[in-house]
Amino acid sequence: MSNDFSVVGPKIYATIHTGIPILGDINITETLVVSWIVMAIITGLCIFLTRDLKTENISKKQAFAEMLVEMGNNFVRNNTGGNKFDKLIPFVSALFATSVISNLISLIGLRSPTADLSTEAAWAVVVFIMITSTKIKANGVGGYLKGFTTPIAVMTPFNILSELATPVSMACRHFGNILSGVVIDGLIYWALGLASAALFGLLPGAVGKFLSNIPILGVGIPAITGVYFDWFSGCMQAFIFCMLTVMYIANAAEEG
Amino acid sequence: MQLQALMMFAADAEKTQELVTLVPWTFILQIINLFIQMYLIKRFLFKPINNILEKRKELADKEIREAREAKEEADSLKDQYESSLTNAHAEAAQIVSEAQKEAQSKADALVKEAQQEATDIKARAAADIEQEKKKAINEAKDEIGGLAMDIAGKVVEKEINEADHKKLIEDFISKVGA
Repeated sequence: MSNDFSVVGPKIYATIHTGIPILGDINITETLVVSWIVMAIITGLCIFLTRDLKTENISKKQAFAEMLVEMGNNFVRNNTGGNKFDKLIPFVSALFATSVISNLISLIGLRSPTADLSTEAAWAVVVFIMITSTKIKANGVGGYLKGFTTPIAVMTPFNILSELATPVSMACRHFGNILSGVVIDGLIYWALGLASAALFGLLPGAVGKFLSNIPILGVGIPAITGVYFDWFSGCMQAFIFCMLTVMYIANAAEEG
Repeated sequence: MQLQALMMFAADAEKTQELVTLVPWTFILQIINLFIQMYLIKRFLFKPINNILEKRKELADKEIREAREAKEEADSLKDQYESSLTNAHAEAAQIVSEAQKEAQSKADALVKEAQQEATDIKARAAADIEQEKKKAINEAKDEIGGLAMDIAGKVVEKEINEADHKKLIEDFISKVGA
C-alpha cells in the first residue's frame, strides 16, 4: 500500500488522431466508455420496464414504469406551471436518469462520467442554449438583447456576466460535488488502508506482513460514508441540475 | 499524513487526462450522448407508457360514458314503468269501481225482482185465499141451503116446490150472509 495519495483524471483508453486544429485528438476516455455503459443501462431498463404493457391488471414492473413517467411529467409540469413545456419532459428525464446513474455507477467501482468536467459542461451548455433560445422566442432578438440593459444601461456587463455564470455555475456545482465525493472516497479508502496496515503490521512475522497488505478496515466504513457522498450527493445533484434546468427555461419564457 | 498529496493530481500524461479540464471532443460527444439518450428514453419509455396511459384513459372514459348511458336508459325505463304502473293502478281502480257499480246494480235489480215476486206471490196468495174463502162460503151456503131444505122438509113434511123453496132459502141466506 502506497503512502502517497492521489486522485487522477479518467483513463485514456485510445486516441484517434484527427488533425483538426482546435478540437485536437479524440480521446476515448473512461468518461466516454462509462457514459455508453450508463446509456446502455438506462435504455435496457426502459426496454425491460415497458415489455408487454397492459391496460388492465398491470404488473409491478409496469406500475413502476408508469410511476417514472408520471414523475417526469409532474416534475416538469409542476415547475413550469402547465403543459407548455411538455417537449422538455424527455430531455429533463434523460438528463436526470443519466446524471443519477452516472453518479451512482461509482458504487460498482467504475469512474463516474460526471467526475469529468467535460460532461457537465456539455449538459450545461445545452441547457444554456435552450434558455437563450426560449428567451429569444419569448421576446424576439431585440427584446432579448434589450433585456441585458435592464434596469439601467450601466448594468449591461454585469447582466452578461450573470447570464454566462448560469451554465458555469451549473456545471461546476455538479462536477464539484461528484469530484469531492470521488476525492473523499479515495481519501477514506487510503486512510483506512494505512490504518489497517499499521494495525495488522503490529502482528509479528509473516501473518502480520500478509494481513497488513489487505485493507481490512476498508470493509464497512466506506459504505456508511458512501450513503452521503455517493447516494445522497449523487441523487441531490442530479435533482438540482434538472430543477435548475426547468426553472431557468420556465423563467426564460416568462420574461419581458 | 501528506496533506499535499490531496492537492497533488497525478499527471500521468500517457494514461489519464487531467482531473479538471475541458476536453473538446469529450464535450461534443457528451452532448451527442445526451441527445441520443433523450431520444432513447422518449422512444423506449415515454412513447409506450404514454400510449398505454392514453389507452387506459380512453378505456375509463368509455366505461364512464357507457355507465352513464346505461343509467340514463335505466332512468327512462324506470319512468316508463312508473307511469305504466300508475296507469295500471288507475285502470284497476276503474275496473273495481265499475265492477262494484255493476254488482250494486245487479244486486238492486235482484232485490227489486225479489220484492216484485214476493209482492206478486202475496197478491196471488191473497187472491187465492179470497177465492177459497168465496168458494168455502158458497159451499157453506149450498150446504146450509141443503141442510136448511132438509130441515125444513123434515119440519114441514111437506113436498113443496123446490124452486120456490130455493128462492126462499137464498133470500134467507143472503140475509144471513150479509
